[in-house]
Amino acid sequence: MNHQTSPRRTPANPVMEALMHWVSGTGRGQALGHWLSRTIALPQLRRLTSDAIPWSPLQRPLREATVALVTTSGVHLRDDRPFALASDPTFRVIPRTAEADDLAISHQAYDRTDALRDINLVFPLPRLRELEAEGAIGRVAERHYGFGLVGQAAELVAPGQELGRLLKRDHVDLALFVPA
Amino acid sequence: MGLLAREVEAAGVTTVGLALVREVAVAAHAPRLLFVHWPFGHALGEPGGVEQQRTVLRDMLSLARRAPQPGLVVDLPYRWRRESYPPITDWTLDSEAFAAALARALEAATLPVE
Repeated sequence: MNHQTSPRRTPANPVMEALMHWVSGTGRGQALGHWLSRTIALPQLRRLTSDAIPWSPLQRPLREATVALVTTSGVHLRDDRPFALASDPTFRVIPRTAEADDLAISHQAYDRTDALRDINLVFPLPRLRELEAEGAIGRVAERHYGFGLVGQAAELVAPGQELGRLLKRDHVDLALFVPA
Repeated sequence: MGLLAREVEAAGVTTVGLALVREVAVAAHAPRLLFVHWPFGHALGEPGGVEQQRTVLRDMLSLARRAPQPGLVVDLPYRWRRESYPPITDWTLDSEAFAAALARALEAATLPVE
């Protein structure tokens, strides 16, 4: 079978790959992963999220709403520039028509094995198109967005503002965020 | 990810996010988050688990529709690899699991002083 139906895996350091497989697959690994995530993220988040939480409730029923996906799992078009694996605050646009074999995953901080088998685990665009067909949502947005691993959370503020402008420009009512 | 959701919501777009680490979800102060106690790289569940993935998406839509206040972190009760997910036909209904989880989150949240 020549036709490749799964996303491409941007190679990461094999030691890192093995470590992430352990983190995802074992209880102790998951405990370590959660501890690392807390240790890295909590002090940064405390500094960056002290003001009021923004609030924009839905303006129309879901069956009329335009819905976009934003994933921070390193997904991008296979032909697009991969994310820098260690840290990269830029983002990539993914069109609504993208299929699994159009995509790649460039991220070194989680075990990508299952996501490469089924892209819906980190970027549920195929599922979202089914929801559109079934009338659960109005429409799937024209453009969706992939982010990679980012070491300094503060670096995400400006790209986040740009993301908000782009979603608004596309008349997106609801953005669904999926982590790595 | 919570930071991105904050910026997008500030731009006028409703946001719902999934979270895999509860403490980080709480600290993110994002508008609406659903916590699933599943491994990294599996926010929607297991490969090929179509009904599981649809269940998570339905709960995300439910939170978009139902959240009455910003900052809720709703704990979904689904156990890893030990649940069965019935097919969804009516997308206008919340799942019982979601409805109960939202009620618990609202109870836990500090209500604003009128």
